[in-house]
Amino acid sequence: MQSGHLKIFFGYAAGVGKTYAMLDDAKVQFQNGVDVVIGYIKPDTSLDTMELLKGIPSIAYKELHTMQGTSEFDLDAALDRKPKLIIVDELAHSNYPGVRNRKRYQDIEELLNAGIDVYTTVDVWNIESLNDIVEEITHVYVKETVPDHIFDQADKVKLIDIEPDELIHRNENSVLTRDNMRLLREIAMRKAADRISHNNGIPTDTMTNSKLLVCISSSPSSAKCIRWTARMAEALHAPWVVIYVENNQSELLSEEAKKSFQMNVELAEQLGAEIATLNGKDIAETVAQYAKLSGITTIVVGKSRNKKTFRNLFEPDFEDKLISLLDNIEIHIIPDSEIKRKYRSYQMHLYNKRVSLSISDTLKMLLILVVTTLFSSMLTNLAVGNQNIILFYIVAVLFISRVTSGYIYGITASIISVFLYNYFFMEPYNAFQFLRKDNAITFFAMLITALITSTMTHRIKTQAELAEEREQRIEVLYEINKRLLITRGLSNIINLTGEYITKLLGRSVIFYSEDPIQGEVGSVILCQEDTTADFLQSEVERSVAHWVFTNQKRAGAGTDTFMEVSAYYVPVISQGNVLGVIGVSCQGGNNLNHSNRAFLRRISSLVAMALERQRLSDEQRQILIETEKEKMRSNLLRAISHDLRTPLTGILGASSAILENRDLLDQQTQDKLISHIKDDSQWLIRMVENLLSVTRINEDTANVTKTPEAAEEIVAAAISRIRNRFPKQNITVSVPEELLMVPMDGTLIEQVIINLIENAIKHSGSDKLIKVILKREKDMAVFEVSDRGEGIAEKDFPYLFESYVPDGKRTADSSRGMGIGLSICMSIVKAHQGKMEAYNQQEGGAVFCFSLPLQGGDKNE
Amino acid sequence: MNNKLKILLVEDEQAISNFISTILTHNDYNVIKAENGWDAIKLATSHCPDLILLDLGLPDMDGIQVLQNIREWSNIPVIVVSARGHEREKVEALDLGADDYITKPFGTSELLARIRTAVRHSQKVKEDSHPDTDRIIIGGLCIDYDKRIVKVDDKEIHLTPIEYKIITLLSRNVGKVLTHDFIMKEIWGPYINENQTLRVNMANIRRKIELNPAEPKYIVTEVGVGYRMVDEV
Repeated sequence: MQSGHLKIFFGYAAGVGKTYAMLDDAKVQFQNGVDVVIGYIKPDTSLDTMELLKGIPSIAYKELHTMQGTSEFDLDAALDRKPKLIIVDELAHSNYPGVRNRKRYQDIEELLNAGIDVYTTVDVWNIESLNDIVEEITHVYVKETVPDHIFDQADKVKLIDIEPDELIHRNENSVLTRDNMRLLREIAMRKAADRISHNNGIPTDTMTNSKLLVCISSSPSSAKCIRWTARMAEALHAPWVVIYVENNQSELLSEEAKKSFQMNVELAEQLGAEIATLNGKDIAETVAQYAKLSGITTIVVGKSRNKKTFRNLFEPDFEDKLISLLDNIEIHIIPDSEIKRKYRSYQMHLYNKRVSLSISDTLKMLLILVVTTLFSSMLTNLAVGNQNIILFYIVAVLFISRVTSGYIYGITASIISVFLYNYFFMEPYNAFQFLRKDNAITFFAMLITALITSTMTHRIKTQAELAEEREQRIEVLYEINKRLLITRGLSNIINLTGEYITKLLGRSVIFYSEDPIQGEVGSVILCQEDTTADFLQSEVERSVAHWVFTNQKRAGAGTDTFMEVSAYYVPVISQGNVLGVIGVSCQGGNNLNHSNRAFLRRISSLVAMALERQRLSDEQRQILIETEKEKMRSNLLRAISHDLRTPLTGILGASSAILENRDLLDQQTQDKLISHIKDDSQWLIRMVENLLSVTRINEDTANVTKTPEAAEEIVAAAISRIRNRFPKQNITVSVPEELLMVPMDGTLIEQVIINLIENAIKHSGSDKLIKVILKREKDMAVFEVSDRGEGIAEKDFPYLFESYVPDGKRTADSSRGMGIGLSICMSIVKAHQGKMEAYNQQEGGAVFCFSLPLQGGDKNE
Repeated sequence: MNNKLKILLVEDEQAISNFISTILTHNDYNVIKAENGWDAIKLATSHCPDLILLDLGLPDMDGIQVLQNIREWSNIPVIVVSARGHEREKVEALDLGADDYITKPFGTSELLARIRTAVRHSQKVKEDSHPDTDRIIIGGLCIDYDKRIVKVDDKEIHLTPIEYKIITLLSRNVGKVLTHDFIMKEIWGPYINENQTLRVNMANIRRKIELNPAEPKYIVTEVGVGYRMVDEV
C-alpha cells in the first residue's frame, strides 16, 4: 500500500497562523473535490479560523472514560473512515492515558501508513533536537517533543512566518519576549533551510566521511550531548553512534539512574542514533578502541566544570586521555551545567552501595580473623617470630577481600588485624600499646596492603562477573543461533526461541507466526514461575500483536504504543516482511530494561534469519513436489497412452476385419473376433474407471473427501462386482465380527479392492483360491488380498507401485497395465493417509494389503 | 402388438441410443426415442410410456429437471442412467422419485433385469393398493408380516424392533434401491442425521440373516447410495 503524504505547517511560536494556513489549504482541497476530513483542531482556536471549518466533515472526538471531560482525536474512527486527507492539529501533542499511542505523531504515522494524507502543525520548540536550545533561550521547558525524523521525512513543510512585532500585537499575553521571538524565528528558519539543503542532497566533500560518536552515561546531562550530536550529525549528513561503557560501577547504579539512562537511550534511538554498549574498565581506552575500529571522526563528550577531587589530581581527565589515545580525532566537549545536584546524589548512592553490609560477609570476616588469631597464638606457643604472624594477618586480610564483596571488609579487617596483633602478640601482651614506633609501621603496612588487595580483588571480581555475564549472553546467542541452524520446521523454531527467551528472561512468551487477525492463536511458552499468562491470549493483547504485524514496530508495555497492555511485543522482520511477533510478559509493570530489549532484538534478528531460511526451504520443497507431481503426471500419461493403444488396436482390427470380410469369415471366426472386441472394450472401461478415480483425489492437497463407511460393505460391493465378472472364480471373504467404520471415499476404496482382486486373479489363474480378509489391527483397518499364484518376481518389487517403468524392467506378462492399476491403488491409499505393501507368502503366492486409519474422518465436504 | 410395453428412451448419444433400442426392440419392447429434455417431456405427456429410461447428462437441460417435471404429474417408473462415481447425482435422483438407477457402462442382461423389476413393481402398485401380501419369500429368507416373524432357511431369526422395521421397509420395496437418507427418515423420523446408526443396524441384520456378511445374498450395498433387497437370489 502506498503511504500517505505528510504536510507540516511550521511556525516559530503559537499564534503565527499555522492552523489558519492549514485550514485554508484544506478548504482549497475540499473545494477541489478532495475527500477532506477534520480529525482534530485544538479547542482554543480563534473564531475566524474556526470559520474556515464550515462545510468540511469532521470526525467526532473520542471521549475518554479514564478522565472525565477529556477528549482525544479518534484514530480508529479515522482509519475506518479512510479519507484522502485528514487534518490533525498539534503534531507534538501527548495523548492522555487510555489512548493507544502515547504521542500524536504516532497516530499520524499510523494514518500515513494506512495511505491517508495528513496536514498538521508544529512549533519550532517541539522539535526534539532543538528542544534544549529553545530551553536555553526562553527558559521555558517544553515537554512535548516530536522526533526529528517525522519533521525531516515530511513530504512538505510550510514555514508560516510573521514579524515578531505583529505576533506581539496579535498575542499580547505571550510568555515570550520580543528578543526570544526573534531568536526562535531564526531557529525555525534555519531548521526549514536545513531541511531544504538536506533535500537538495548535495554532500560537501569534506563532510562525506564524517562519523560522530557521543559518550553517554546515566547522567541526565547526557541528553544535551545527544541532542547536540544529533543536530551536528544532521548538519553534516553524517551517521552517529551513541556509546555507553559498562564497567564495574554500572551495576551499582540506582534505580533512578537506570531510568535516566534508559531515557537517554530512548532519546538517542528517537533521534536516529546507532546505539552500542561496550564493556571495559577504562572508559577512555574502550571508547578510543571503538572509535579506531569504526572510523569515527568526531567524539562528543560532556564535561562538568567543578569536578575537582583528590583523585583528579592523579588521574588525567577523560578527554585528555582520549586525546592521548587518538591523535587525529576531533573532540567536542559539551559543558554540563544543570547536573551538579544529580551527580552528587548519584555519587552518594555509589558510596552507600560500597559500604553496604551483609551479615554473611561480616560473619565470614570475623570467622577468618578468629581462626587467624587462634592459629597465630598456637604458633607463638611454638615460638615462631612475630613478624611471621604479621604475614599471617596480611594473608587473612587478603583472603577476606577475596571472599567478601566491597572494599569495606578488607579495610575493616586490616584495622581489626592491627588491633588484634597489637593486643595479643606484642608486648605488653593482652593490652593495647600504640606508642611504639614499629607498631605504627606495622599498622600502616597492613592498612595499605589491605586497601590495595581489597580494591584489586574487588575490581578483578567485578570485571570477571561482567565478563562472565557478557560471555553468557554471547554464549546464549551463539547457542540459539547454532540450535536454530539445525532446527527445521516452523513450530520447532518457535518452541526453541520461546524456550530460550523464557529461560533467560524468566517471563512467559507468546509467539505469533501469522497475523492474529487471521485466526492465528499464537504459541505460548509458559515460564515456570509465571502461572498467570492467560492474559497473553486475550483480545486486547492479540490486537496489539496485530498492530505490530501491520506497523512493523515494537509495541506494548514500556513503549509508546499500547503502553497499557501487559506484554512487550517485537516484530521479527526480514526483508521488510514481518515473519512473526514475539510477545514477552511484563505483568505487574515489570517492564524490560534496555539490555533485555537489545537482547530480544538480537534474538529476533536470529529468528528472522531462521524463519526466512525455513520459508526458502519450504518454497524449495514445494517446487520439488511440483516437479515430482509433474513428472508423475507425464509418466502416467506415457503409460496410459502405451496401455490404451494395445486394446484399441485390437478393437479396430477386429471390427474392420468383420466389416470388410463379412462374407469371407465363417460365423465362428466372426464370433471370436466380436468377443475379442468385447473383452478389449471391457478392459478399456475398467482402465478408464481407474483413471477417473484418480481425478477424485484432490490435486493440491492429495486428499479425498472422506465419509465414514462400513468397511465390510465396501468389501462386499467389490466382491459382488468381481463375481459378476468372474463367476467361476474361487474367492473366500472374511470380515471381523466387529463393525469397522472407516473414514474413506467408498468408491475409491472399492476400486482399490477390485484392482487387487483382479490382479490376484490374473496372476494365479481362475482355478486357484483367492482370499480377501478384512481385520482390525490397533487403530487401523487392514484389507488383505492373497492369492496362490506364482508370487511377485524379485525384479518387479522396486517398480510394483510405479506407474511407468523403464522398458525391459518389467516382466513381460504384466504388460497390460497392471502397473497403472497398482500405482493408482497406491495413490488412493496414500490419499487416505493409509499404507500399502506387498510381499510373497512362504507357502507361495503374493499378498497385497493396505491399511486405513479408523480415526480422523471428516464429515464436512 | 398392444401388449408390448412402451419404453421412452432419453439419450443424446446416438450410438448408445441405437444399441439400447436394438436390445429393447429385440426383447419385445416398444421404444420411443428422445434426444433432449424438452422432447422427453413432450413425448412422455403424449405417449404415456410404461417406463422411462433417462440419461442424466442431456444437452439442453439437466436430467434431474426432466425427472422433476415428470414426477409432477405422473408415477411412470423412471430408471436413471448415470456414470459411475456420480453417487450424489444418483442419490438426488432417487430422492426425487426415480425408481432405480443403472450405472454406465452396463451389460444387456443387467439393463433388462432392471427394467423387468421396475415394471413389475409399478404394476404391483397399480393392481392393488394393498400390495401387502402377508408374507414375502426371497430364496431362503421369509418375512411374515402378520406374525412379525423373519425366518432364514426355516430357522426363526430374532431381530430387534428397529432391525425388523428396516428389513420390512427394504422388503416392501424389494428390488428397489433405498437411499440412506430415505431409510433413516422412515425409521427414525426426519430429525436424525447420524449415518452410523443405520450402518451398525445393517451390520447386525446381516450377521443375523446372511451366511457371510461380506458376501450378502439378500441385502446388497450400493456404495455411496443406499441398500437394496434383491428380489431373486
